[in-house]
Amino acid sequence: MTQLLLFNITNGLIIGAFYVLMAIGLSLILNLSNVINFAHGGFLVVGGYIAYTLEPYLGFWGALIASPFLTAIIGLAVEKTLISRVYGRDPLYSLLLTFGLAFILEDGTRVIWGANGKPFTIPAALAQPLSNQFFFITSYRLFMVVVVVVTIVLLFMLLRYTRAGIRIRAGTLDLETVSALGVNVRALRSLNFAVGIFLAGLSGVLAGGQLGLEPTMGAGLLMPSFIAIIVGGVGSLTGTLVGGLLIGVASGVTAVFFPAASEAIMYVLMAAVLMVRPRGLFGEEGMLT
Amino acid sequence: MSKLFKPDSRRKLAALVAIWTALVLAPFWMPLLGGYTALGTRVLVLGLAAMSVNFLLGFTGVLSFGHAAWFGIGAYGCGMILKFVALSTPLGILAGTLAGGLAGAVLGALIVRRRGVYFAMVTIAFGQVFYYIAFQWSSVTGGDDGLRPFYRQPLHLGIATLDILNDATAFYYFVLVCFALASAAMAFILRSPFGRTMLAIRENERRARFLGIPVELHIWIAFTLSCFFMAYAGSLYALVNNFADPRGLHYSQSGDFVMMAVMGGMRSFWGPLLGAILFVVFQDYVSSVTINWQIFIGFLFVLVVLFFPRGILGAIRHRVAS
Amino acid sequence: MSLLQVKNVSKHFGSLIAVNNISMTVKPGELRAIIGPNGAGKTTFFNLITGFFRPTAGRIIFEGRDVTELSPARRVWCGMARTFQVTEVFPELTVRENLRIAVEVASGMRLRPWLSQIDDEKIRGRVRELIDMSGLAAKADRQVGELSHGDQRATEIMMALALNPRLLLLDEPTAGMGDQETYEITQLIRRLHKDGKLTIVLIEHDMRVVFHLADRIMVLDQGKFLAEGTPPEIAANKAVQTAYLGQAA
Repeated sequence: MTQLLLFNITNGLIIGAFYVLMAIGLSLILNLSNVINFAHGGFLVVGGYIAYTLEPYLGFWGALIASPFLTAIIGLAVEKTLISRVYGRDPLYSLLLTFGLAFILEDGTRVIWGANGKPFTIPAALAQPLSNQFFFITSYRLFMVVVVVVTIVLLFMLLRYTRAGIRIRAGTLDLETVSALGVNVRALRSLNFAVGIFLAGLSGVLAGGQLGLEPTMGAGLLMPSFIAIIVGGVGSLTGTLVGGLLIGVASGVTAVFFPAASEAIMYVLMAAVLMVRPRGLFGEEGMLT
Repeated sequence: MSKLFKPDSRRKLAALVAIWTALVLAPFWMPLLGGYTALGTRVLVLGLAAMSVNFLLGFTGVLSFGHAAWFGIGAYGCGMILKFVALSTPLGILAGTLAGGLAGAVLGALIVRRRGVYFAMVTIAFGQVFYYIAFQWSSVTGGDDGLRPFYRQPLHLGIATLDILNDATAFYYFVLVCFALASAAMAFILRSPFGRTMLAIRENERRARFLGIPVELHIWIAFTLSCFFMAYAGSLYALVNNFADPRGLHYSQSGDFVMMAVMGGMRSFWGPLLGAILFVVFQDYVSSVTINWQIFIGFLFVLVVLFFPRGILGAIRHRVAS
Repeated sequence: MSLLQVKNVSKHFGSLIAVNNISMTVKPGELRAIIGPNGAGKTTFFNLITGFFRPTAGRIIFEGRDVTELSPARRVWCGMARTFQVTEVFPELTVRENLRIAVEVASGMRLRPWLSQIDDEKIRGRVRELIDMSGLAAKADRQVGELSHGDQRATEIMMALALNPRLLLLDEPTAGMGDQETYEITQLIRRLHKDGKLTIVLIEHDMRVVFHLADRIMVLDQGKFLAEGTPPEIAANKAVQTAYLGQAA
């Protein structure tokens, strides 16, 4: 029994790690620019498909590295032409805008690459199960976790030690002051958005390797990201990190006892957090409220 | 009394007469434009839903992006009554309205302290909970296939029987009456002292608070009222289709309703209805022409946000004022 | 006997002490001015009195009742009304509509779904009264957001008055105004004070206004109490002169 539990907790952590990758990108954009990026799932899909297109030329590893950057560039273009126009306006408009973008990206993928799923080949070495006992943990899944961990660590270091990173963090708390100090807020927002989209694109490549590629794959990952942010606390990246892992684990553990409810548990968690500690586990009072 | 003769009131009265004339005569002029009565019925119900969202969005300034949940609960509530309990249309409508309204009241209490973007996020997430339930609880709701079969029942009005099941025109007028009742109630509330406090909260929440208005309580009341209206519209929608669909609860449906309100004009009472007409016509047309109609809907959203944020009626009003 | 008693009130924001152990007693019918250089903590002090923040220490007693824990809305119901440094009104509504909302709420009708003919007339009457008092009759049906600074401020003051407060707090009522507008607002405040027998506390930077209107003046500097007294006393006070003009005085 405990082995089954352990299995599911580990499984949950793996899933959670993936949610974290998605959610942190979303959280970055939300915190600095007050924009809920509905199109985040769409960028995930684009990232996956770009990797698929590049793979024949660059191989798996090349595609893995190049695709997020290309996706981020697309994201940057979108931010500069469209999203930047709604900053400072009622949040209603950024919601509707990213909403529309989500449709465009998803359907656009369908137009360019076709509506059917596409396979995304991963190197044979990664497809092997790690051991006979834990056959479900393929090397690929472990690899995913490693990529996520490395990325998050790099991100946190970027936010902590680089000038841009510090400015992003400061901007999250008080954008007006940061602007008054002479920082180019527009450029900061663009950079921040691009980083968020980079993470979405990376998520897409990883997801593609695990599940294959489909135009609809982004939408299903958006909700867990939302919930991770709400549970962890709006305004806190650490919170998002913890939130993502938490819902992943909760989902994994619930799968042991009530398989049908493993998705529902996320919503239950969210409702519980909202009732007991509305600002989220790590959220601060007054953030975006 | 003398207010009725001011030019502004006269204009409003004329507009009202024009709108209702068009609505009452719709089964006659719609076919001339290539439409058909059932389309009109559908638009009316969706328009009511958009107006219900706007009750909150345009008049209280509260951004709920998960309002389709109450629409869907209303639809399922009505459908389940007709399928499992009793063959009575009025009972179905009542049940659906109560189910959605009460669920909204409970949820509203949880989230009413949040604002802006965070509030929107939470409404989206909670809306998805209901979508998920409708999807998963397939033994009761029919899951992905939706709730069926059930049929709207003829109305026995004592003197005569209105066959709203088979007679599309009769059904249209039935829905029109329902629409009239709901929109009258909405207008009534908006004109009341309570309705004015909603405006106050929209215009300047801080000032509202410093006038002594308990803002959270008033937002909760407005939220609950809009959920009741929304669920009512949902019940009618179940009758329109003889079918209840989990997709009706999805946040993309919520987004559609918000877009209808914005397109038509958030600050105007009839704006959302106009928006619903335009949106439905556009969507129907585009989806009949290409399978990739979603891109066009996406572009519509983008265009409206960037170039027509005030919506059509809002733009007209702005032009007239300056 | 006192209307408002602020006892040893402090407000800390982390390590920043915005308000440091300030006490104030205001008698009914008084017009008190609070002055001090920028950053003296005057608005924060107001915010504490009206419930925008909770004090880190100290108590606020209004008409003998401890209101320290009450929300802003509750304090309004106790009889306090305020205006803000940056005018807070309902911009897309007309002056008349702005006042109407204030009157309805003050009359306890905020939850009513409908009004009887009699109530409606009563409210309209009161709104007319307020409009006449303010001198905004000609602009009553224009959107407040489109009016001049001074007219917006006047609207806000009338809205506060609509609440039938016993204590009116005005935060820099003449801020950003030219001479003519300043004169008009000052006259308005004076009228309200004399006719309505209202108790008024105001924050002001314009010394002409202060010395014209105030019965007593309290001076704050860097969050601390500096001096209190009648206008002549304050004018002669060396410490006050130093605070405003620097050591050179």
